[in-house]
Amino acid sequence: MAKKDKEDDEFRPTGTITVLVIFVITLIAIWATIYMILVGRGGTL
Amino acid sequence: MSAQKMHIDSYERNWMIFSFILLVLFASAVAVAAFGMGIQVPAPEERVDPRTVATDPNSPWSNPGLREIAPGKYDAYILARAVPQWEYLPREITVPVGSRVTFYVTSPDVQHGFMIQNTNANFMVLPGQVSKLAVTFKNEGTYNFICTEFCGAGHGVMYGAIIVTP
Amino acid sequence: MTQYQVPVAEKKFIGSHILVAILALAVGSLFGPLQAFEHAGWDFYTYLKPLIKSYYQGLTVHGVLNALVWTTFFIMGFLTFNVVFGLKRPLKNIVLNKVGFWMMVVGVLAAAIPILANQATVLFTFYPPLKANPFFYVGLTLVVVGSWVEGWGLFMTYNDWRKENKNERTPFVAFGSLVTALLWQICTLGVAVEILTMLLPWSLGLIDGVDPQLARTYFWFTGHPLVYFWLLPAYISWYAMLPKQAGNGKMFSDSLARLSFWLFLVLSTPIGIHHQYVDPGVPPTWKFLHSMFTFGVFFPSMMTAFTVIASLEHGARKNGGKGALGWIGKLNWSDPSVASQLLAGILFFFGGIGGLANASYNVNLVLHNTAFIPGHFHLTVATAVTLSFIGISYWLVPYLTGRKLWQPKWATIQAWVWFVGMIIFSNSMHVLGLLGAPRRVPLGLAPYVPAEWSGRLFQVGLGGAILFVSGLIYLVVMYKTATNKERVESEVEVPSAEPMQDPALGPAWLDRWAPWIYGALALIVLMYGPVLFEMIRTMALTSPGFRVW
Repeated sequence: MAKKDKEDDEFRPTGTITVLVIFVITLIAIWATIYMILVGRGGTL
Repeated sequence: MSAQKMHIDSYERNWMIFSFILLVLFASAVAVAAFGMGIQVPAPEERVDPRTVATDPNSPWSNPGLREIAPGKYDAYILARAVPQWEYLPREITVPVGSRVTFYVTSPDVQHGFMIQNTNANFMVLPGQVSKLAVTFKNEGTYNFICTEFCGAGHGVMYGAIIVTP
Repeated sequence: MTQYQVPVAEKKFIGSHILVAILALAVGSLFGPLQAFEHAGWDFYTYLKPLIKSYYQGLTVHGVLNALVWTTFFIMGFLTFNVVFGLKRPLKNIVLNKVGFWMMVVGVLAAAIPILANQATVLFTFYPPLKANPFFYVGLTLVVVGSWVEGWGLFMTYNDWRKENKNERTPFVAFGSLVTALLWQICTLGVAVEILTMLLPWSLGLIDGVDPQLARTYFWFTGHPLVYFWLLPAYISWYAMLPKQAGNGKMFSDSLARLSFWLFLVLSTPIGIHHQYVDPGVPPTWKFLHSMFTFGVFFPSMMTAFTVIASLEHGARKNGGKGALGWIGKLNWSDPSVASQLLAGILFFFGGIGGLANASYNVNLVLHNTAFIPGHFHLTVATAVTLSFIGISYWLVPYLTGRKLWQPKWATIQAWVWFVGMIIFSNSMHVLGLLGAPRRVPLGLAPYVPAEWSGRLFQVGLGGAILFVSGLIYLVVMYKTATNKERVESEVEVPSAEPMQDPALGPAWLDRWAPWIYGALALIVLMYGPVLFEMIRTMALTSPGFRVW
């Protein structure tokens, strides 16, 4: 079965965090843009 | 088998916690817009018989059009149909700027859509159901309303307009 | 360590799935660009009149063949491969699986004939009261039931394995595939009920009318988990194969990968009403509840993003990758299978963003049935899924046929051309949607299209043209591979990323089926029971059929 290498223990996924931070910023920016269009157009009741 | 504990890397654990918080924030923003600002999706309004809704004299859609219910407040009864041709009845509505118009739309035949461009009025129109949403027209100009669900050969030409006058 | 060899009979059987899938993709993709060209003002449908009567008939062919046939056949083939390879045993009863496969083939043909005869121009959502020829519904039923039968064959194979391996963890690729097959069995109940209790008897003239609102609710019971049926096979490859191919990375978290598959099983069905936010006959309470659970199903995708990227990074760092982002360059981009799947994954970020916006309850008022929607699902099903499947086929087809991949360089080019074409196509579709352009409309002819949209509409056509070129390259590569005289030297190695932590050290509840299945069913009853009960109680079969295309 899978052997645990020493370097696996030392591996910190910092690059992954970088990619995901960029993703989250894009996600918030696009989502918020569409949300603001919705809010700007006003109530429907 | 012994009960093994789940191993989660600390970076990944933090990412999961962060994702959860982020999704809660999005959900909260949606809830504020829905319940705080009254930006709501359609609710069941009324069931009708699609076979008679356009012809029954007691049905408002036998005489579709605009009714003023109070100063600056209107109800618009609109029929979306594919037979005998693809069109909305009425095709055109004129209201003064600042009017609050509540739309009641139904179909006597197939499914249609109803989207007034640049407004939050965007919903499905189903035979047997009445779709209702309201819009305040704050700016003058022409607002097209367009069919957004495939309804047959003439789907692409099915539209109408709301003329908002000074 | 030598790998388990999939037996020849199974190889042929899996291969026949891939063949049907690629044929469907070939024909379906012929019609994709025609829609895009129409938007740009180049209407080829005028010249196709003797054969294809309208834009909408072409759109039906495109949607049914690409979104339903290509995906379902590729998926059933790939799942079968994963179960056989993962469990290291042949199918328990290959005849049963073959029966399922042939039911699906007959179903596709039964549906294709009325579609090509313009008797079923109802698009791939077939919303009543648009009424297609009965053979269309019979065909769809056969496809669904055939896929069930194939699923049963996989479960029986797993059952035998389990009896002999009581305390083993299910190998990941088999585990993921079985969850996907199970999800499919549960969620297709919606469309099965829709067709068998309403559409089929109605098209045969046994009942006079249908209830369109109820039909839509049945449809979307299946329609959203369908998305996960498409996506999960790509996730299996991203989790457990791609890291190995991209640089010998290990699967960062086997436990969380399994947990995310269970979460998909439990959460992907009781959220279908998020496709019906603007339906008139569904109470807003249920719409809101389904929207909250939709945010929930986004969570396992966020977990997937982390685990997959970390597994890739693990390999890249070992190969000398440096920097916060520089390691990405160390991934094995020259392997066409890797390039396809990495590019698919990159565009899936944007697919996820658009999907979350669609799913956000009232935010859907801005987007519903606009061009944003096809823009979105061309990033998801037509790229994250399709381009990943294409990437998988770049090693799977050589594995199954024993023939070398023809010109890997061209295969890599194909992936990049798809990527570029899709960015142009999809971006302009998203923007057009936000400007108020409806979907499913020949916008080149629509009378309400303002002149300001023409630049974007041109980009739709341009993107479509580039995608068309990419599709052609793919077909040539596949054809040349299938007929390649050059054989693979020994055996193609199946990419298998080993987990960083021994799965046996993970908790046992990640390998128990019953609690998750009960959980999934309970949640469906809770989230769909009351709303469906009320709709069925007040059902009005008042809509006669229309043939207005």
